[in-house]
Amino acid sequence: MKKAVIITTLSMLVSAVFIPCRPYPLNAQEPDTIVFLTWKPNQPEVWEKLIKEFHHDNPDLRVKVQVGPHSSTEYHAIVTQRLKNRDDSLDLFFMDVTWPPEFANAGWALDLTAWFSEREQQKFLPGPVAANSYEGGIYGVPCYLAAGLFYYRKDLLDKHEFRPPSTWDEMLFQGKRILEAEADPLLNIYSGQFKQYEGLVCDMMEFIWSNNGGVFDTGSGGVIINRAESVKAVTFVRDHIIGNAAPRGAISYEEPESLDLFIQGKSVFHRNWPYAWEVANNPEKSKIAGKVGVGRLPSFEGHESASTLGGWQFGINRWSRHHEKAWRFIKHMTSFKSQKILAVEASLAPARKAVYLDRELRAKRPNLTAFLPAFERARPRPLSPVYPMISQELQRFFSRAVSDKGSEIPQLADTAAKRIKKIRDLAESIRK
Amino acid sequence: MKKKEIKFYLALIAPALLVLFLFIGAPIVQSFIKSLHTIITGLPQLKAPFVGLANYKDLLNDPVAVHSLRLTVVFVATTTFFELLIGLLLALLIHHRFYGRSALRACVLVPWAIPTVVAAQMWRFLFNDTYGMINYFIFGADSASYIPWLAQPGTALFAIIFADIWKTSSFAALLILAGLQVIPQELYQAAEVDGAGVMSRFRHITWPLIRPALLVALLFRTIDAFRVFDLAFVMTHGGPADATNVLQLYGYKKMFVEGMMGYGSAVSVSIFVIVLILAVLYVRMVGRRMLEARA
Repeated sequence: MKKAVIITTLSMLVSAVFIPCRPYPLNAQEPDTIVFLTWKPNQPEVWEKLIKEFHHDNPDLRVKVQVGPHSSTEYHAIVTQRLKNRDDSLDLFFMDVTWPPEFANAGWALDLTAWFSEREQQKFLPGPVAANSYEGGIYGVPCYLAAGLFYYRKDLLDKHEFRPPSTWDEMLFQGKRILEAEADPLLNIYSGQFKQYEGLVCDMMEFIWSNNGGVFDTGSGGVIINRAESVKAVTFVRDHIIGNAAPRGAISYEEPESLDLFIQGKSVFHRNWPYAWEVANNPEKSKIAGKVGVGRLPSFEGHESASTLGGWQFGINRWSRHHEKAWRFIKHMTSFKSQKILAVEASLAPARKAVYLDRELRAKRPNLTAFLPAFERARPRPLSPVYPMISQELQRFFSRAVSDKGSEIPQLADTAAKRIKKIRDLAESIRK
Repeated sequence: MKKKEIKFYLALIAPALLVLFLFIGAPIVQSFIKSLHTIITGLPQLKAPFVGLANYKDLLNDPVAVHSLRLTVVFVATTTFFELLIGLLLALLIHHRFYGRSALRACVLVPWAIPTVVAAQMWRFLFNDTYGMINYFIFGADSASYIPWLAQPGTALFAIIFADIWKTSSFAALLILAGLQVIPQELYQAAEVDGAGVMSRFRHITWPLIRPALLVALLFRTIDAFRVFDLAFVMTHGGPADATNVLQLYGYKKMFVEGMMGYGSAVSVSIFVIVLILAVLYVRMVGRRMLEARA
C-alpha cells in the first residue's frame, strides 16, 4: 500500500515537471520524429524559425536537426557513409548540386516523382530541376541556388567611363587602363578561385563554356575537353589571367581569399557566388561597400556568357521509415512562403520562380532579382553518378595547365580526356 | 620455463593481444581484402567483383600515383634529415646546464604539442601571398616581390616540408636527449683530464653513444613522415598541379572523395607494406646496435 502511494506521488511529481514543457495537448499521440542531417547555416535563426512554423502546422511531427561539417566534400563523406550502411535513423539530407545522379544511381535517394510532379517542377528554375533529374526520375527538391557572378568596382568603371565588360578581352583592356590610371601597385584586374579543389572546376568551366567548349558534348555525349574551344579557353586563363590579370597567388585561393582581395580594394573585377554581395557591401568587413556592381560573367568574342550552377537540395533517404512525413517537411521548406523567408531574411536565392516577382522581395533584396538572368542560365557541371571521379581528373588537368607557364595544354587535355572517357565508360557499363 | 608458467603468461598478455588484433590486425586484413576487389560506392550495380591484384597493377601504371610516391619519398628524405640534424643540435643545447633550462625544454616541445591541423592552418596563414608574415619578414613592405608560396609547385612542397620540420624536430630532440642523458659523466671528466677538446669529446664519446638513440629517432621519423596527410590536406589540398599530393592524401581522395574503395585500399596497403619493410630493416639495425653497445 505504502509503495503504491510513493509511486503515485513520484509519477505525479515527474509529470508535473515534464508535461508542461510539451507544446502539444496531453491526449494527443506522441509525435513522430524525423531526422534532418544538415550543416551549420550562416543564419541558423532563420532556419529555426522555419522549423518552428513547421512544428506549429504539423503538431504530430517533430524535426530533429543533426549538424554535419560545413565543407561540402566532408559533408558528402558523412552522408554517403550513412546511406551506404542503410542507416534508417536518417530521414532527410541535403545534397550539393552535383550529387543527385550519384545518390539516385546508388539507390540512396528516394525517387520523388509521385509528389514532385512535372507541373510542380515547372514552378522551379530549370537549372536546379535538371540537376536533380536522373534517368526519368527526380531525386531532390532544390532549396536555394547559386551561380557564378561577375562583381566589379562600379566607382572605378564609372570614373573611367567604362560599361561592364561583355568579353574577357574587354575586361583585360578596361583593367589595364584602370591600373595605369590609378597607378596603385597593389591593384589587380581580376580575382577568382584557382586552387586545386572543386571551385577550380566551377571557375574553369565558366571560361570553357563561354568559348562554346565543354567536358561532354551535349548531343553525342562524347568527351570534348581536348577540343580546340576548350583548350583555347584554358590557355587564355594560363596566359592572361594567372600572374597577369590575377595575382599568381590566385592558384592558392578558395572563395574567402579571393573575396578578401576584392573587398580590400585590391581588385577591379571578381568572380564569386551570390553570398559575396552581402560581404562586399558590409561596411564593417569591406572597404568598397556601396561601390560594387554585379552582373553576368564575360564571354569570349561571339559566344554566350556562362555561369556554373551551385546550391543545395533536399533529398529523402530511401531506407527511412518516414517517407511521407519527410516529404511534408520538404514541401514546407520549399513552399512560396518559406522560400521568401529564406530569401528576405537569409539572402538565399530562391529556387521557386514566383518568389522573384514578389514585391517585398524586390524591395528588400533587389540584388537577388538582379541575379535572376544568371540563375536562369546557370549550367550544371557534368551530370554523372561518378561526378566526383570526373571532377578529380578535371582539377588535375586545370591545375597542371595553369600552374606552369610552359605547360603543354593540348597534351594535358588529351590525357584528361582519355581518363575521363575511361571513367564514363565504367559508368556506362552498368547499363548493359 | 614450465608449461604451466607459459600458459599463465599467455593468459596475461591475451587481453593486449586481443585489443591489438581487433583494432590493428582486423582493419589491415579488411583493407587488404578490399584492395583485391573493385568497389565503387557510386556504382553499386558493379557489385564488388574480385579482381585479384589488378588494383595493384593499375597502381604501378598510374602516373599520378607514381608521382605521389616520388614526392612522398622527397618529403620523407628531406624532413627526416633536417629533423634529425636540428633535433641533435636542440638536444645538445638543452642537455647543458644553464639558467632557464627547464623553461627552454618546455618551449622546445611546444610545436610538437600543437595538433597538426592547427599548426597547418597557422602555416597556411604565414605562407599566404598577400598578408603572410613570411613574405613580410623577408621582403618588408616591398610587396611587388612577395612570393606566392602555396601557388607554385616547388615552393608549395617546400612550405609543407618546412612546416613539418618546424613541428617535429622537437620530437627528434626529445628522443636524442634521452640518449644523451644515459651517457655517464665520468667519461667526459676522464676525457677532459686526458686533454680532449669539445670536438673530440663529441666525436669519441657523444656520437658513438647516442647512435642507438639517433637510430630510434630515425625509425620513428621516417615511418611517421611516410604517413604525412594533415599538413598537405590543410595547407594545399594536394595542389597546385598535384605538387603536394602525397601518397596518403591520394589514397584518401580515391576512397572518400571518389568512392573507389578497392583502389584506395590498394594505395593504403602499399603504404603499409613500404612502412613495414622500413620498420623491419630499422628494427634489425637498431637491435644490432643496441647489442653492440651493450657488449
